[in-house]
Amino acid sequence: MADGTIEHTTCLGCGCACDDIAVVTRGGQIVEARNACPLGVDWFGKGTIPARIRSGDGPRDADLASAIAAAAARLRSASRPLVYLAADLSCESQRAAIAVADMLHALLDTLTGTTASAGILAAQRRGRASASLGEIRNRADIVLFWGTDPATRYPRYTSRYAPEPAGLYLPKGRAGRTVIAVDIGTDRGPADADVRVTVAPADEITALALIRAALLGRALPSPGADTLDARTSALADRLRAGHYVAIVADAEASEGRDVRRSDGLLSLAEALNGPTRCALSTLRAGGNRSGADAMLTAQTGYPMAVDFARGVPRYRPNAGAAQLLAGGAIDVALLVGSAHSVPPALRGPLGKIPCVAIGPRASESPIPTAVAIDTGVAGIHEGGTAFRLDDIPLPLRPALAPPNDTVLVLRALAAAIAAEARAA
Amino acid sequence: MTTLRIAGGTVYDPANGVDGAVRDICIQDGTIVATLPKNAPKLDATGMVVMPGGIDIHAHVAASSVNTARRLVPEQHDADPARAPDLALDEDGELVIPRSGSGGTVPSVFTTGYRYAGLGYTTVFDAAVAPITARDTHAQLDDTPIVDAGCFILLGNDAYLLRQLAAGATDRIQDYVAWMLGATRGYAVKIVNPGGVELWKENVREVKTLDDPVGGEAKVTPRAILEALTTAANALKLPHPVHIHCNNLGIPGNVATTLDSMRTVAGQRAHFTHVQFHSYAGERGKSWASGAKQIAEYLAQHPETTCDVGQVMFGPACTITADGALEYLLHTSNGGKWVNVDIELETGCGIVPFNYKDKSAVNALQWVVGLELFLLSPDPWRVVLSTDHPNGATFQSYPELIHLLMDRAYRDEKLKAINQKFLVGSALADGIAREYTLGEIAIITRAGPARILGLTQKGHLGVGADADITVYTTDADRTKMFATPRYVVKGGTLVVEEGQLRRAPTGQRHGVRPGYDTLIERDVKDFFDRYLTVAFENYAV
Repeated sequence: MADGTIEHTTCLGCGCACDDIAVVTRGGQIVEARNACPLGVDWFGKGTIPARIRSGDGPRDADLASAIAAAAARLRSASRPLVYLAADLSCESQRAAIAVADMLHALLDTLTGTTASAGILAAQRRGRASASLGEIRNRADIVLFWGTDPATRYPRYTSRYAPEPAGLYLPKGRAGRTVIAVDIGTDRGPADADVRVTVAPADEITALALIRAALLGRALPSPGADTLDARTSALADRLRAGHYVAIVADAEASEGRDVRRSDGLLSLAEALNGPTRCALSTLRAGGNRSGADAMLTAQTGYPMAVDFARGVPRYRPNAGAAQLLAGGAIDVALLVGSAHSVPPALRGPLGKIPCVAIGPRASESPIPTAVAIDTGVAGIHEGGTAFRLDDIPLPLRPALAPPNDTVLVLRALAAAIAAEARAA
Repeated sequence: MTTLRIAGGTVYDPANGVDGAVRDICIQDGTIVATLPKNAPKLDATGMVVMPGGIDIHAHVAASSVNTARRLVPEQHDADPARAPDLALDEDGELVIPRSGSGGTVPSVFTTGYRYAGLGYTTVFDAAVAPITARDTHAQLDDTPIVDAGCFILLGNDAYLLRQLAAGATDRIQDYVAWMLGATRGYAVKIVNPGGVELWKENVREVKTLDDPVGGEAKVTPRAILEALTTAANALKLPHPVHIHCNNLGIPGNVATTLDSMRTVAGQRAHFTHVQFHSYAGERGKSWASGAKQIAEYLAQHPETTCDVGQVMFGPACTITADGALEYLLHTSNGGKWVNVDIELETGCGIVPFNYKDKSAVNALQWVVGLELFLLSPDPWRVVLSTDHPNGATFQSYPELIHLLMDRAYRDEKLKAINQKFLVGSALADGIAREYTLGEIAIITRAGPARILGLTQKGHLGVGADADITVYTTDADRTKMFATPRYVVKGGTLVVEEGQLRRAPTGQRHGVRPGYDTLIERDVKDFFDRYLTVAFENYAV
């Protein structure tokens, strides 16, 4: 692509999906990602990626057609194939990959299955009171950060959505809002919070239940000073007095946090909608993860861990990629997207089986591959659509050309599998 | 050149005055033609019923809210896995991968297309799309095979519009509506609970009258919103002007609100949707009764007003609506799981899975009100079939609904078994002899929706029409007859053969792109730049 500047580019460095980035290219490289945060600048990088097609152990690159044929043969011969969707895929690529999984009667899973399943399962049990980020920006006068400070993993959340910007109903911006930080052990809320409440990690679930109980008028009578009861009761009073409360939590929180917090947060948000209005905003990491959840849901009915083994989609949230790989059940894998985003726990078992990798830097995959086809990063080299962490769809404006286009490669793979099936 | 003659069937084509005449229907390259050579391929439909393909004027199949609902009900998908159909090889060599999926009340996208086609439906409109999520809707529709589709764009709680009303800048609204429909590739304007969704975001949970101020602005009221959007849509000469979900859905006594809304836009074309949910007499907290008769009387006097019924059928449903306040109410009443999504400065979304029970007094009344609307209807062309899929029931219950309309004995039998508490004085309980004819069924499922939607190529079998055709084997059991068409032709392609889905071509998208003064873009962009979190440049699909 020619040198120039692409305005209004969507960054997929994290789930915030800021769409105000101006990407400047010169000589086939990105030289500037204006408006991007450090995390975004890092994600765009120079945009230089390998353009190789590897098949087998030979020293030379293969041509695309033979690599696809080799991949189709590997996948067709599998008795228990896995199709795994990693990061940096457009929704269009995700849709094409799901079609391949359906054809192969494969297990289909995504990063979500490994990193953010607790919140999804809880929301499937209880439902969920939420809002798109713009509603929070324009309306939320109380912003509660539950054990998270977006500063490191979601750097522009606070400046683009809340609490910093002025909103239609909050013309004073930050000054018109109350920011509450709930610190859970070392998972602390923003440093500049107006109110700070400390909760020991062991008390997190109890604290959520106590706030909810207080909101529902079931608090213990006259709690002692500075007990957990007293702190949560006071917090409940503050929240109830809010006009529109946003509760912000990290859906991909650090390991070791109690998974039951998802239920607790959902219940709390629900209870707050009795006396006032409340939305839970859960933070998701980058590379279009929410998009994967949405595409799987649309095509199969389930957002993750879908097993096509019986020719129909079956939901296996407790027998997804991590579990089946660990148990040695999977014999061939199709890894689509950035291999570098695959969680460490999956890399070991994936390395022990033949793996077909289609994605950016597939040829430099940290996981050994039988076939590797380098494609582009969605949002940098490939266009299409991605979902913000609140499921708002955004267009992608690639600044550079991909070595191979993921959607086209996946469609060719599907055609090769179909042709083999027909011949058989 | 692809040709097909559907020979010797009994044809119901009400738009062309054909009511059960035996004749051939000739198809060439996706269109109905007058004649074909004698040796053209032939499908023997002797003794069978031939109708245009069904048209669903109001369903929730591809909005972001629908996908959120899909995610909410894995247990329904578990209970209804859907195998990939056994598709025939495509003649032109294009790879069509047959896709598995899941059903329940909110089926996966491919399954939705297959099942609609399997029922003889060939056109479907998604009735509620938040503009900012339209890109997702079009992607879902791209994966909904066979059926032609379009979507209605939610306006009437959007901050930009409300600000224009507050400022008295009503002259801008027509340009804004035109810009919005083009930007979202929408087909029509949808109004849901005008002003009420914005009030819900502000924790005001009830709209008492159409003159309640919204956002403290005396000029911004449900009535003003209805007037402004109906006027704009009619001035733009949209094929389907405005699709209205009134305030106070599901509340006893709401028939007064509905009639007031109808009168507010009287004299202009306007479509009122799922009126069953808006036709209750009685009083909040005290009593429930049917208000269907009042609606039927109004319709008899107002040929410019059309509606679809939104019939409730007993069994599982999933309520999905932009009317968030209503869903909160439903959640507190049934205690089930609840989703709410407030969508930035535009609209909302609420979801509650629901099970309509014949032993429930309110659900029984809802069932009765819907049937009364059909049976008291002065004009089947203007009171057309819907279940507000999947709100009142899924689209898969249409055959049984048709059965209820066509067969009094069947209907009366069902009526006896339901809760009678609120049925005192109901017309249906007092006995309605009317039975719909096959010709009338063709009106409420094909010709009527096509006319209301302004689809001149659809809903009829005249020369030049799209070759969307359904052939049924005649059966006195109307449920069975309408659930399993023998043949379905979509755009000239035989998609259902001997009751089996065999082909899954891509459907077409229906959208409008009315002209507007481009100055409006500058004003909208300025508003976006100040308040929205999506760049104006990234908004249009």
